[in-house]
Amino acid sequence: MTLGFTLAVFGGALAVVLGGIGSAIGVGLAGQASSGVMSEDPEKFGSYLLLVALPGTQGIYGFLSAFLVMLTLGLVGGPLKSPTIYQGWQILIACLPVAFAGLVSGIHQGKVCASGVYMVAKQPKDLMKPVIMAALVETYAVLGLLITILMLNGINL
Amino acid sequence: MAIAEVQKVQILAHDGVKMEILSTLQEEGLVQLERANVEELDLESSSREVSHLEHQLYRLSSALVYLSRWEEKGFVKKLFAQKPQIDRQKREEILDFDSLAVLDKIEKLEAEKNELLSEIKFLEKEEEFINPLEGLELPLRSLKPTDSTEILLGFLPVSQEEALKDLAEKEAIWFEVINRGKRIIYLFLVYAKREKDRFEQILKDLNFVHLYFTENMLSKADENDKVKDVMEKIQAEIQEKERRLEKLEKEGQDLFVHREKLMLLHDVLLSERVKIFSSGLLGETERVFYMEGWIRSSDAEKLKSKLKSSTDAIEVYSRNPLPEEEPPVILENPKSGKPFELLTKLYGLPQRGSFDPTLPMAPFFFLFVGLCVSEAGYGLLVALLSLLLIKFAKPKGGLLQFLKLFTLLGISTAVLGALIGGWFGFPLRSLMVLDPLQDPLSFLILALVLGFAQVWFGTLLNMINGIKNKLYFESIFAQGGWLLLLPTLVIYLQTKQSIWGILSLAGASGIVFFGSPSRNPFARFFGGLYSLYGISRYLADVLSYSRLLALGLATSVIAMVVNTLCQTALGIPWVGWLLAALIFIGGHLFNLGISFLGGFVHSMRLQFVEFFSKFFKSGGKPFSPFELESKFVEFI
Repeated sequence: MTLGFTLAVFGGALAVVLGGIGSAIGVGLAGQASSGVMSEDPEKFGSYLLLVALPGTQGIYGFLSAFLVMLTLGLVGGPLKSPTIYQGWQILIACLPVAFAGLVSGIHQGKVCASGVYMVAKQPKDLMKPVIMAALVETYAVLGLLITILMLNGINL
Repeated sequence: MAIAEVQKVQILAHDGVKMEILSTLQEEGLVQLERANVEELDLESSSREVSHLEHQLYRLSSALVYLSRWEEKGFVKKLFAQKPQIDRQKREEILDFDSLAVLDKIEKLEAEKNELLSEIKFLEKEEEFINPLEGLELPLRSLKPTDSTEILLGFLPVSQEEALKDLAEKEAIWFEVINRGKRIIYLFLVYAKREKDRFEQILKDLNFVHLYFTENMLSKADENDKVKDVMEKIQAEIQEKERRLEKLEKEGQDLFVHREKLMLLHDVLLSERVKIFSSGLLGETERVFYMEGWIRSSDAEKLKSKLKSSTDAIEVYSRNPLPEEEPPVILENPKSGKPFELLTKLYGLPQRGSFDPTLPMAPFFFLFVGLCVSEAGYGLLVALLSLLLIKFAKPKGGLLQFLKLFTLLGISTAVLGALIGGWFGFPLRSLMVLDPLQDPLSFLILALVLGFAQVWFGTLLNMINGIKNKLYFESIFAQGGWLLLLPTLVIYLQTKQSIWGILSLAGASGIVFFGSPSRNPFARFFGGLYSLYGISRYLADVLSYSRLLALGLATSVIAMVVNTLCQTALGIPWVGWLLAALIFIGGHLFNLGISFLGGFVHSMRLQFVEFFSKFFKSGGKPFSPFELESKFVEFI
C-alpha cells in the first residue's frame, strides 16, 4: 500500500466520520425533543419520526461519498489501484466538502427539527412547514455532496 | 380561472324558521357564515344549551374511549376500516336513541372497575408485606405481650446478626429467625419487660425495624390462623376480585354493540354545537333575522332554490364582493392538477389580485421528484401501493389527494428512472438516455436548464400578473427586461455573437429605467442599477437546482451499495442467499424511504423558495363552510 492510497482511505473515513457525527448530534437533538413531547402526546409518533429522521441524511451522504472513494480505489469489487501521493491528496480533499458541510449542517438541522417538533405538538396540521425549514439547512449538505461527487468523478486513477 | 368566483350571500327571514334554515345551511355546507355587522341589529347570544351539550359530548367521548378497547386490532384492519355512515337528512332520528341508560351503565362499570383495581393493589401491598413472615408458626392473635415479656416481629440487617446473638446469650432476650433474605433477616423476638427501655435502645442501635400487623390483617385472622392462613385468605380475595373484574369486562364488551350509535350521536351533537355557535353570528330584530356569508358563485342559485322551497318567509340576495372586502379563497383545478393543490395550500392561499399557482407548478414538481428519485423500481412500487390503498382503503378528502399525488409521483419516478436511473440498482442500458454516474456533467446541465426554465417562467407569470393588475410600465419593461436579459446573456456568453449582447443590453436598460418605482430621475436610475444587481439572485436560484443531480445520484449509488452488499452476502455458505434477500429487501425499502422523503422535500423547496418567490403572493383565507362536523362517522 502506498501513501497515496492511505491518504485516499483517510479521506473516505473523514466523510463518514464527520457526516456521521453531524447526523448523530442532529438526530439526537430532534429525538430528545420528540421523546419529551411524546410523553404528553404519544399519538403523533409518525410525524415526529419524520422530523427526527431528517438530520440523518448527512451521515448517509458521507457514507455514500466514502463508498465512491472505495469504488475508485478498487476496495469494492475491483482490482486494487495504487494512486500517487498527489492523487491521494486529491481524493482526501475532494471528501472535505461533504464531511464538513455535513458535520455543521447536521447539527443545525437537528436544532431546526427539534423546534419543529415543538411546533407540530401545538399545530399538528402544519407538519410540512418545519420539514421545509429543515430542508433549507440541508441544502448545504446536498451542495457539499454534489461537489464531492463531481470532484471524485474527475479524479482518474 | 384557477380560483373559484365567490359571492356574498345575504339572507333575511322570519324568526320562526331560524333553526330550520340553519339546519338546511348546515346540511348543504355551501356557505361560510360571517358576523352580521349591522348596527341596527342585535347579535344573538348563544349560551343557551351549550353547556348541556358540552357535558353530554364529554360523556359520550369518554364512553367511546372506554369502548374502543374492544375495537378490532391490527394495523391492516384499522387501515381498511370504514367509518359508519348516516343520512344527513335523517340525522335527528338518532336523538331518539336512549343513550343515557348506556352511558350510565358504562360509567358505572368504569367506576367499579377502578375501585376493584385500587382494592387489588392494596391487597397486593399487604401480601407483599406479609410474605416474608410466612415461616412464623404461631397464630397471629397470640402475638400479644404477656405480663412479663414483650413480643416483637421485625427485621435486622444481616451484618448485625452476630451482635444480636451475643446479646441473646448474655441477657434476657430470645429470638428466632423466620426468614433469611439477602441483606436482612426477619426475626421473632421476645424479651423481658422489666428492661424494656434498655432493650428498645439496644435494638434501635442494631438498626432493628419493628413490624406490626395492620388492623385489616388482624381482622382477617381467625383465632388460630397463622401468617400462612392469612396469606391464603388475601390471595383468595385477590382472585375473587379479579374474577369480578373479568365479569365487568364481559359486561363492558356486551355494551360494545352500542358503540356505533354512540358515535353517530356524538357527531350529531357535535354538529348541533357548531350550529348553536354559528347562530351567534346572526343579527336579529324582534321578528326577523339576518345573516350573511360567502358562497361559491356557481352554488348561489342552488342555495336560493333550496331555501325558498322550504319556506315563504325568506329572502335571499347575492352580490359580487366589494373592492374592500376580502373573500375567502377556493382553489379550482382540473382533476389531474387537484392533488398538487396540497402544496399550494401548504405554502398559503393566494391573496386577492394574485392567482392560483398550482397548475404552473405541477409539471415542474412532477418532473423534479422523478429526477431526484430516478429509480424505476421504486416508482412502480410507490405508484402501485398508492393505487391499492386508494382502491381498498377508500380514503376521503386530504388523504385521497395525497395518495393520488403519490401515484403521480410514482409514475414520474418510474419513467425517469427507466431513462436515467435503474431498476432496484440494476441499470437497463437499452432504455437509458443518460447515465448520471458515467456522465454527471450532462445531468448537471439538464438540472440547471430545467432550473433556468422554471425561474424564467416564474418571471413571465409575474409580468402577466402585473399587466392584469394594470402595472403596465413596470411589468413590460422591468419584468420583460429580465425575460429578455436572462436568456440572451446566457447565449451571448456561450457564442460571443454581438447581436445577443445588444439584446441583453436592451433588457438591462429596461430594468435600469423601470426597475425602481421612485419618481426622482436620479433615484430612479440608481435604484434601477441596484435592482440589476438582482441578477446574482437569479444565478443563485438556478444553481440551487443542482440538487436534482445530487439527490438523483444519491439514490442510484445507495441502490448500488445495497446490491454490492448482497453480492458479498451471497458468498457466505449455507445462509448466504437468505442474508442477501434480507439485505436486498431491507436496503431497498430504506433507500426508497429516504429518497422519496428527500426528493419530495427538496422539490417542494424548489417550488416554494425559487419559483413562488418570483410571482406569488400568499395570504388568502381558506373557505371554511358552515357544515356538519364529524369525528367518528360520515354524513352522506
